[in-house]
Amino acid sequence: MGEFTTLAISAVLLAGFYAAMAYGLGLIYGVLRIVNLAHGGIIMAAAYLAWQLFERFRIDPFLAIPIALVVFFGVGVVIYLGLVRFIPRGPAGAVQSLLLLFGVWLIIRNAAYLLFTGNEQVIQTSYATSSVTILGGGFSVTRIAVFGVAIVALLGLHLLLTRTYLGKAIRAVAQNPDSCTLAGINVERVYLLTFGLGTALAGLAGVLASTLFAFTPSFGAGELLKSFVIIVLGGLGSIIGIALGALVLAFAEVFAVYVVPPYLTSAVGFVLLVVVLVLRPGGLFGQRVLR
Amino acid sequence: MLEIRDIDVFYGDAQALHGVSLTVDEGELVTLLGANGAGKTTTLRAVAGVRPVTRGELRFDGAPLHTIPAHRRPGMGIALVPEGRDLWPQLTVRENLELGAYSRPARARRATTLAEVYARFPVLEKRSRQLAGSMSGGEQQMVAIGRALMSRPRLLMMDEPSLGLAPVVVTAMFAAIRQLHAAGLTILLVEQNLARALEVADRGYVIETGHVALTGTADALLTDPAVRTAYLGL
Repeated sequence: MGEFTTLAISAVLLAGFYAAMAYGLGLIYGVLRIVNLAHGGIIMAAAYLAWQLFERFRIDPFLAIPIALVVFFGVGVVIYLGLVRFIPRGPAGAVQSLLLLFGVWLIIRNAAYLLFTGNEQVIQTSYATSSVTILGGGFSVTRIAVFGVAIVALLGLHLLLTRTYLGKAIRAVAQNPDSCTLAGINVERVYLLTFGLGTALAGLAGVLASTLFAFTPSFGAGELLKSFVIIVLGGLGSIIGIALGALVLAFAEVFAVYVVPPYLTSAVGFVLLVVVLVLRPGGLFGQRVLR
Repeated sequence: MLEIRDIDVFYGDAQALHGVSLTVDEGELVTLLGANGAGKTTTLRAVAGVRPVTRGELRFDGAPLHTIPAHRRPGMGIALVPEGRDLWPQLTVRENLELGAYSRPARARRATTLAEVYARFPVLEKRSRQLAGSMSGGEQQMVAIGRALMSRPRLLMMDEPSLGLAPVVVTAMFAAIRQLHAAGLTILLVEQNLARALEVADRGYVIETGHVALTGTADALLTDPAVRTAYLGL
């Protein structure tokens, strides 16, 4: 029982990070119908940004979050204006957008190899080894802080999407862009801001990841795939869908230790993905529209 | 108020409008009539700016309109209730209405306008928290008209508002259109239900294969022999 509780809490903490990580990908897909293959590259780049800020200026990664949000919002805006804007909307642009954004990822990754070499990096904060005891299990302070930040970010995003004019416009564009133009919404501007917002969220995920894991310029590939699994599991419907998808993936991975050897746990998500795609192609919880 | 001068519109290589000209004066209710595919919807979409005009001129209050991007036009007082309603089905009725007031001048007066729309269509207030996609066809049409009214239009364009509605709902719809007109709103109405449209309209234009074939007062069109045989089946 004790071990079960500890693993369950572990899974919930992991799910918080996963949800924050997947949301940027889901938001961009929900509104622009584009799979942002550069998502993993942004996560990696943000981890390096956090590391540089820590090494050079002794800025704590958690305090670097606002900086990363601003920087990667800007990066998203530049990628959108410079590249994504020119891709045709809808199925016609699907292959182009995949190739283009995959190219962006390769550029970011190789730039990181050039700048920082392929050596593994970690951010060694003073509290990296501190832990607290919850219900008999020890949990690192960092993981709890990551969970807290992720929840705050998701709540903030939820409020933005449901309470502000811009957020409502984003949801409306996801559902029917044509009638948005008729209502006076500048759809192109909503696409731009959504891409910026989604990229900023990937940046947030990268900073959070930098406090949890060691990373190299190849970091982010697994995160992209897991984000994709979460979106497929939970549907794009809402924060709730993403949260449920993240919980399912985190629980599957954490509890897989009972049935598969540790080096296979990261394969669990993909097995889950295939099973869901075969049995329930609409996602576990249905609802494909951002609402 | 609205002047369309000799416009051409294309869909790819197919020409949908061939030199269409028409005018709508302040306070008028003008209807565009004609068969499916004649170019009525295209005309409205060109005025709304979501269909580019390749030749000719659009003027609103005497100023050129075709150079203004589509998303700016609602703020100038031009609103289109699109065919098929085109609501945001997963947003609530209230959210649909609020987004209708997205343009700056309308946003400032959102609360007042919302109260007016609720007074005109009380069912929308009752259903304000319901998802728009879960409403009946007639109620969705009211949301679509309400959403357009939220932009405080001076010219309201409606594309087949009676399409797919039960006869009793169609009657209610035309009553609502008549009331809006009586309140002084300028309306450009596209309808296939020609008899009903001519009952409420001041003037009409008959469009055939992208040309204006016939124009006149509603009474004149109703008694025109060509209109009666071709469209009223008399």
